[in-house]
Amino acid sequence: MLKGVHQKLEAQQTPAFFVRGAKPFSRMVFFCALSITIMAVDARLNYLSQVRQAFIAALHPLEIVANTPGEWYRDINKYFSAHNQLVQENYALKQQAFEHQVKLQRLNTIQAENEHLRSLLNGNMPIQPKAVLGEISHMGRDPFTHVVVVNRGSHHSIKAGQAVVDSNGVIGQVTRVYPFTSEVTLITDKELSIPIQIERNQMRAIAFGEGNNTLDIPYLPTNVDIKVGDKLVTSGIDGVYPAGLAVATVTKIQQNPESPFAKIISTPVAGVSNHLQLLLLELSEPKEIDAPKAAPEASTESNKDNVNTNAKNKAKANAPH
Amino acid sequence: MRHTSLISVYLTLLIALLCQLFPWVGQGIIFRPDFMLVILLYWLLRAPNLCSVGTAWLAGLLVDLATGSLLGQHALSFTITAFVALSYQRRLVLFNGWQLAGYVFALLIIERFVILLLKLFAGNENPGWHYFLPIIAGLLLWQFMILMFGGLTRPKTN
Repeated sequence: MLKGVHQKLEAQQTPAFFVRGAKPFSRMVFFCALSITIMAVDARLNYLSQVRQAFIAALHPLEIVANTPGEWYRDINKYFSAHNQLVQENYALKQQAFEHQVKLQRLNTIQAENEHLRSLLNGNMPIQPKAVLGEISHMGRDPFTHVVVVNRGSHHSIKAGQAVVDSNGVIGQVTRVYPFTSEVTLITDKELSIPIQIERNQMRAIAFGEGNNTLDIPYLPTNVDIKVGDKLVTSGIDGVYPAGLAVATVTKIQQNPESPFAKIISTPVAGVSNHLQLLLLELSEPKEIDAPKAAPEASTESNKDNVNTNAKNKAKANAPH
Repeated sequence: MRHTSLISVYLTLLIALLCQLFPWVGQGIIFRPDFMLVILLYWLLRAPNLCSVGTAWLAGLLVDLATGSLLGQHALSFTITAFVALSYQRRLVLFNGWQLAGYVFALLIIERFVILLLKLFAGNENPGWHYFLPIIAGLLLWQFMILMFGGLTRPKTN
């Protein structure tokens, strides 16, 4: 009774200081419900990617402003780099270029030979993927995901799904494209997996990101032929990553007697934290993947014949010598 | 309660967003404070008539859009933190500097905890203790805000 009167009095005489519109609690409930709905929509349906893209595009000037101090710092550093250091770097680069040139000469002959052999077998040529050079503008801002942001976007005809490599190996895959930037998810991210092949014995497997700078190769039996130090390269069967790119080296093999599978942990070879430049490889056309699937039965016979005749021709050509 | 203009609230929040967008590299990314949240809490506690739970929600949504994380998770955590902050706002007049810092510390922990819970539900692994380091940086930023814009209440000399 008394309490009721008190409340009435308070309601009548509330000074402007206390007026706050709706109660914080009801507001909190409303906005919590709203954010949970948005989360569900964003996670399960893809309606909000357009909103996100538009917002990021609008935010681009702000991002440029945020990036300028770092760029100035880098430029000033470049400007003041010592003469001695430049000379040394120049020398080292020249040496490297020379070594690469020697290797390249061999590569050219080997490539020509490979093309010739493939034409003999009527196999289709491996596609040389085109690439766009990009630069890491910053690391992702979410500490739970392994993401870097690259300064190339849909304006530079980047598409989601493109493979990204640096001079040492595979870095990851483009997952989100904005007009001027794009997000590259690293192979160490939990959401990403990559089909690999062990360089030593050509065994195929799939490596999954662990979320802590390592890769895990699950579901392999304990007696599998993998050793510490084995190099993992892309197998190329997914159509995203071209075959033969370095991915990781095996660093640890644990055999748990309770589990039928070995725990194989490897560390990526690409240095994401050290390199600023990276290459975004163009996606191979879906046609080129579908074509061999479409008519395998029809062409096997004729293919075989071709191969045979080719081989015969070759034999004939070689015979007189 | 001290007089504050709406422009200074939104200007500082914009600067916070800019700091959020700043390209953090190396070790800085671990220590980086949650600029948006600390500055938002400062204005929430100082001028609850200018910004409230709705402002917190909007700021959280902006952070989500800018960081490219799941849309709505920062909105949710900011909303809950803002509610807790506001529910004790009127008693803060009695707090001295250290008590206030302790209160902000608790609020920052709540926000980190909500995000952690959401992430664990989504199937992420426990990120380790350094996930809570930004709270310390956040407290430093809080003290900086007090230095820059003054305390929550009018100075006693007036």
